[in-house]
Amino acid sequence: MIEVNGLSVKIHKTALLEAIQFHIAEGDHLVVVGPNGSGKSTLLKSLLGIIAVAAGEVRIKGKPLAEYSQRELARLISYVPQSSGKQLPFEVEDFIKMSRYAYHTALSDWTPDDQAALDDALRITNTTQFRHRQMTTLSGGECQRVMIAAALCQQTPVMVLDEPTSYLDPHHQVEVHQLISRLNQQLGITVVEVSHDINHAGQQGRHVLALQQGKSLWYGPGEAFLEAERLKTLYQQEFVFVPHPHSGRIIALADPQ
Amino acid sequence: MKKPLYLLVFLSVVSLALLGLAPFVGLTEITNNVVREQILFDIRLPRALFAFVAGSGLALCGMVFQAMFHNPLATPFTLGVASGASFGAAVTVFLGLSFSLLGFDAVTVGSFLGALLAISFVYGISQFRYGFSGETLLLTGVATSFFFSSLILFTQYLSNINDSFRIMRWLMGSLSVTGYQQLMQLLPIVTVSSAIIIWLSRELNLLMAGDDIAISRGVAVKRVRYLLFLTTSLCVGGIVALCGPIGFVGMMVPHICRLIIGTDHRWLIPATLMFGGGFLILCDTVARIVIAPAELPVGVITTLLGGPFFLWLLVRSRKPAT
Repeated sequence: MIEVNGLSVKIHKTALLEAIQFHIAEGDHLVVVGPNGSGKSTLLKSLLGIIAVAAGEVRIKGKPLAEYSQRELARLISYVPQSSGKQLPFEVEDFIKMSRYAYHTALSDWTPDDQAALDDALRITNTTQFRHRQMTTLSGGECQRVMIAAALCQQTPVMVLDEPTSYLDPHHQVEVHQLISRLNQQLGITVVEVSHDINHAGQQGRHVLALQQGKSLWYGPGEAFLEAERLKTLYQQEFVFVPHPHSGRIIALADPQ
Repeated sequence: MKKPLYLLVFLSVVSLALLGLAPFVGLTEITNNVVREQILFDIRLPRALFAFVAGSGLALCGMVFQAMFHNPLATPFTLGVASGASFGAAVTVFLGLSFSLLGFDAVTVGSFLGALLAISFVYGISQFRYGFSGETLLLTGVATSFFFSSLILFTQYLSNINDSFRIMRWLMGSLSVTGYQQLMQLLPIVTVSSAIIIWLSRELNLLMAGDDIAISRGVAVKRVRYLLFLTTSLCVGGIVALCGPIGFVGMMVPHICRLIIGTDHRWLIPATLMFGGGFLILCDTVARIVIAPAELPVGVITTLLGGPFFLWLLVRSRKPAT
């Protein structure tokens, strides 16, 4: 689906990403982890055409990213940004409807297909009940579901999410994680997600890419990710590992020794 | 559901009523019918129409800037674009240039180029550093504005007393026209600009959500932005060339329209065009009668209203956005 070969990104001569290499298969769930400033968001933005690629190549469905128009790209990849949608001066439904941009010209009408995409997005994210509220009145959890609904309404095979749970309380984190898993497993959407939650990466991520100072430290299957030396190198932090009392899965805890 | 439609009709009716009534204000004391008619059709009506078109254009450009820079305080005036246009026009007056390019006269072309120069400068600075705040953008605009104002003063200093006085009066912003010539010059500029901006209303909606979201939804943000820069430069340049920099219309009108009709540009654009026209006619009428028989430059009135409005927005923007 997506091939990233030797990707480098620079802003004002500062290298933000260097020689990144990985592939994302169709239906994959890739979680990108790494310390703050390691280039995770930059990587997502370069997949979306928001930040220019300095060297290397990104191919989507075999075709170089540069050969897609922004509109064509928007029918392949949707985006849930890190910034909160709570500042946006729109009604929920109007905001989600704007995601249909890539399917329209200035004069085309709203079609039954558009309406179906909107209704599905609202239903799947369980946001139908506040479709007529203003974005500014939503809680953090509600707002994040609306942001995902908007991406979903774009009907793309790939969805890219930048720290979708960072500002949420534990209950809403679980809710959003489950929603993303549903999109991946039931709707077959290829998910690329940036996260600081290493246990989430290890458990839900089919693959994990660990970035450090703009370079790829490790790439592999999610279940192999949680490993003491690797986490120590990545975060400069000791971790201990304990089995979850219910599921028995290994979880990593930061150990402040 | 169709609430915006009623509100748009309401704004249009108010604005068109202002357009219809303004020519009659201060006309009652004239009893001679022939003179009355002459004043009405040769002076008052063209002036009202001219004010309407100029107000529409100024308000629309303000609306575009507010959407593009995600800031209610960002307008062609606060960002120094109007000063750039004024400087361009002052230079052509000073050099005594007279030529015609694609049907535009020298002052309009100079004004357009000045506007383009200023906007490129402000935008260039805003791109220079990653993560640019709204405050820094406005300060860059203020600096640009000062810079061009000094250049205008310099031009004025070098000019003879006649040109200098002309430049000064014109800088105050005035709508005193006679006949339909200026209207016919301005109308195509504002019409073309409005058509392009209406064409881009969905893009403007997405730009309000932020550049990253707009790009990810499929907007070719750079191309749209350049097109909007050119369009607003043309519109502001054309208006400034003909009536001087009339400040703050582009800040107040779109803001009021947004409060009334909401943020959807498919409704906001027609509302801004209508109310912008009506608003400037209202200001011009006040400017005509407040110290009658003399009249004030309309820019004095709009700036007197705009200053406090700017401060109100500034204080309000400290609170969470609405």
